[in-house]
Amino acid sequence: MPAIRIRGLGLVSAYGIGVERAVQGLRAGKPGITPLTLFALPFQDQIQVNQFDHAPFPPGEAGAPAILEAAVREALSTAALDTLDLRSAALVVGTSGYLFAAEAEYRRQYVADRPAPTPALRAPGYFAQRVAQDLGIDGPVLTLSTACSSSANALLVAADLIRRGDVTRALVLGIEGLSAVALTGFHSLMLLDPQGCRPFDAQRRGMQLGEADGAVLLEAENDAMPAGDTLLGGANLCDIHHVTSATPDGSAMRAVMEMALADAGLRPEEIGVIKAHGTGSLDNDTAEAAAMRALFGDALPIFTGIKRYLGHTLGACGVVELAAFLGCLRAGFIPPTAGFSAADPELRVTPLTDFRPAAKGPVMLNTFGFGGNYASLVIAHG
Amino acid sequence: MAEPVSVYIHAAAALGPCLDTCAAERTRLAADPPPAELKELTRKVVGAPLRQASHLIELAAIGSQLCLKRLPWPAPENTAVYVGTGLAEVRKTHAVFNQVMPPGPGMASPFDFINAANNMAAFYVAKLGNFRARNLTVTQEEFSFERTLQLALTDLRAGCYHQALVGGMDENSQPRSNHLRRFPLCDDQIMGEGSGWLYLGTRREQARAELLTVRHGARGADAASLLADTVRAWLHGSEPVVLLPGFRLDKTEIARLATALPGLEMRDYLAHCGCFHTAAAFGIGALFDHTWPKPTLIVHINRDGAGGLMLVALRLFASNESDSDRVTP
Repeated sequence: MPAIRIRGLGLVSAYGIGVERAVQGLRAGKPGITPLTLFALPFQDQIQVNQFDHAPFPPGEAGAPAILEAAVREALSTAALDTLDLRSAALVVGTSGYLFAAEAEYRRQYVADRPAPTPALRAPGYFAQRVAQDLGIDGPVLTLSTACSSSANALLVAADLIRRGDVTRALVLGIEGLSAVALTGFHSLMLLDPQGCRPFDAQRRGMQLGEADGAVLLEAENDAMPAGDTLLGGANLCDIHHVTSATPDGSAMRAVMEMALADAGLRPEEIGVIKAHGTGSLDNDTAEAAAMRALFGDALPIFTGIKRYLGHTLGACGVVELAAFLGCLRAGFIPPTAGFSAADPELRVTPLTDFRPAAKGPVMLNTFGFGGNYASLVIAHG
Repeated sequence: MAEPVSVYIHAAAALGPCLDTCAAERTRLAADPPPAELKELTRKVVGAPLRQASHLIELAAIGSQLCLKRLPWPAPENTAVYVGTGLAEVRKTHAVFNQVMPPGPGMASPFDFINAANNMAAFYVAKLGNFRARNLTVTQEEFSFERTLQLALTDLRAGCYHQALVGGMDENSQPRSNHLRRFPLCDDQIMGEGSGWLYLGTRREQARAELLTVRHGARGADAASLLADTVRAWLHGSEPVVLLPGFRLDKTEIARLATALPGLEMRDYLAHCGCFHTAAAFGIGALFDHTWPKPTLIVHINRDGAGGLMLVALRLFASNESDSDRVTP
């Protein structure tokens, strides 16, 4: 079976358009926290968000495809490909849905004082079909919607399509915009930290939502390719403990990490660094810490959380954090865990708190979502 | 080169819009079905109420549990779950949208918000079945079930899993005028809903059918040629061939298909479930309502809005016992 090369990366985040902009922000240790200006909420002053600059993009529903196009264009350009090279590729999208686009359109019409705007509530697959048509993609088109693990699962499914010879190339997209529904929903569940995300910190109180679109171009590796990053493997499973919280002892998270290592053909001690899911919520970080302790024991590799930099981009975070994290590794550094200041004695682990040089070798990226949907990826940084 | 792994169907279930779960309960729809209340049927099939579950979750829970109850052995923990849904959570999404957007109260109900997550149905399917394995929700309007089935088939053939529960479900939204905003239908097409489930495995023993192929045909591909190719590749001797036409095939195309092969039998399953993106799951699941005296090649074909085709082919084994004979709720 062919190895899966990560050929192209594209990103639009709170730092701006391009992976490099995000890497600069992470290198500066500066979280991309911004004011929320897209809409007003009754608890606006009690949350932190990572919103991107919408000025370059059209308002309303038309904004979403334009933002995505910027990420796709960058992924193609870094892969030295153009849209004609995507004709027989697969398109696999991961998203929690497009409520943000429906909200934007509704607000645009509502502000215009039209009588009773009709919400343009699209199914998650709507965008994928449209993008496939725009890019002239004739290969398989799939949309995965598994909450926060959506785009990590999209990467796994795309890798399977390549491994099995269905396609030689796949464009994987993670799409998420800030939405009043998501912010009020997580606020109702008391899962937003007024001080922003503090992964694995003793004082952590919850998440900080962000918006970003990411694009990753995967391709079957061949001898003509120079050294680069490869997706070695990964796994997905369902933790059936509870709809919104993880098995507290971390056993389900440990299981998915173990499965990912097995799929990649690696032992735990071969992992050099872990990009944790690290939402900053009490449940997630407790379970993830327990899972890492149980799997890696005394040889726990350095691990970091990057959600304070980018915000939790929900369904997009698998692709978005892969793009940003790989961008940092390629730039030669591992970013410390922004937002962390004091260790939680109950967790018995401490995330990375200073910049470290990036070494070549395997890294693990974790993504865990509501509905117990977990995904773990193993990448060889080369 | 290794022999390709065969994939079998060991159990199936189909839940229709009139709370119908077996042949005796199927109703021929003359108009849009009235809104279905699933609480009681959920309690009966699942064994307990799912108090905070949405309508879509109930569709999934009932269908998947019926399928598992018809399985001749307890489904193991490492059963992968694949769920296809064209529109996913229509009603809950609408509910939270109205709660949050002006002139609504401005805050989302926590339960509605959780249920609006598109993978909640797959979570409940896994929880009720005690499955701790791969769990994927594919939701992309057209071909959501066919693509999901294709993913499961290739995973099983690749040896990633030895068994999988695969389902497709969609809910409608009342009134029809609301529903048409998301899912355009012709005036003579009935607004349907329901779910269909297949339990797949790689062992032959006690199988009811073999899943042969799930194929995609490019935009503008000729359905009759695809059908003929499939039949040529899979037909054994003089076994009967049954065609299930999907809701996007127009009458002319169906008429062409009917004459494409001599002796082809057509089954209009849409008359029982109405039109929805994952109606194919119902159509295929409902085949197992019946006994099949002879091995029969089944082909389901549908188009998407862009003119692409998806084809599912399976061989039903001869049996003297339908799935609904085995277990009814």
